[in-house]
Amino acid sequence: MSWNMETERYSVRLPVSDTDGPALLDLLGSSAISAHIPRAAMSTENQADDELRRMAMRFEGREAAFWLIEDKTTQQVIARIGIQYINWMMLNAQLQWELTPACDLAALREVLTPVINYLMNELHLKRLEMRQVHGTDSESLTALGFQFEGTLPAQAEFNGEDIDLDIYSLLAGEFVAD
Amino acid sequence: MKFTPELSFPGGRIKPLHYDDIDQLFRLYQTPEIPGQRPLADKEHLNRMIDYSVQMAATQRGIMWAIEVDGEIEGMVSGFDWQASSLRITMRVDGLPTLTPERRAAALTAAMEFLGSKYHLRNFAYQWIEGQAEVLRTMLTNLGFVRAARLRHAWRTGQDTFVDVEQYHLITDAAKPQPRRLGDDDELGQNLDAGKGADA
Repeated sequence: MSWNMETERYSVRLPVSDTDGPALLDLLGSSAISAHIPRAAMSTENQADDELRRMAMRFEGREAAFWLIEDKTTQQVIARIGIQYINWMMLNAQLQWELTPACDLAALREVLTPVINYLMNELHLKRLEMRQVHGTDSESLTALGFQFEGTLPAQAEFNGEDIDLDIYSLLAGEFVAD
Repeated sequence: MKFTPELSFPGGRIKPLHYDDIDQLFRLYQTPEIPGQRPLADKEHLNRMIDYSVQMAATQRGIMWAIEVDGEIEGMVSGFDWQASSLRITMRVDGLPTLTPERRAAALTAAMEFLGSKYHLRNFAYQWIEGQAEVLRTMLTNLGFVRAARLRHAWRTGQDTFVDVEQYHLITDAAKPQPRRLGDDDELGQNLDAGKGADA
């Protein structure tokens, strides 16, 4: 049982703290890529190194797991996909992603197929939920089988505004792989 | 320092958990209202729960009161998932069959009013779990809570059984507090320039 996976076109791997800083900064340095969370863009290598350490520590505690999605041909990291707030009693977790335009729906299906399989069949999670800023495009989520559940009001403040979050969920057996 | 005050409401009061009340609390835990929850077997667990209730309130992570009517504990009102920086918390009321909906609502209101005035919390959530009494949903609606989402299979009731959770929210019209200089007031959580609430 490994947390690192391979698909035809992509490596789905846990980050390497010593070497992935520049790639992570490149990925998360765009404000657009994290706007749905919402989170400000990274601007320095130190921030990327800090984030890598946090990812490693949270994984060690089995509190979260974040994978970098690397295109095997170009060696470019095209997305970060992870789960967090894993509730081992309730068998659920929150999914989160940051996607470049290169990680389109076809790529998402390809990389999420082993990820969802791992989460549901190896870790026996029964529910994954995704929260994103109210009004964020949900076409990919619904195409993958996620269902809209509602909007939670005023969950955070960001740039001086109260942020409502739309909530979507995917139950075991609902993932649409093709 | 006392973080969980006694507060009165029409017909009763809410008060901090106390070791002297363990027998009554144990009786409460014999009739759990949450689907899938079993009666508490070991009274000793309540000692730890009372310890936690103090620690949680002191660190603004959660808060627990006993609901007392005519000198008898008939329920508990609790706040958990306390997100101080987001001014929000999730509430919960558990009660014996003798706790009337009116007193349940009054106890919840007293707790929320205190949390609003003391800690400036203004976004109150409540999770109704499928299988709980319908009267709870009515109570929430009457208090001004609005159903925000139905979370599918978000509550586990057995090895492979799950039920849905309806999440309600009540956002008060209280203005957000304005930050002022930290450290001028050594009362925890009170470095915010808004009205002082009840004593705690």
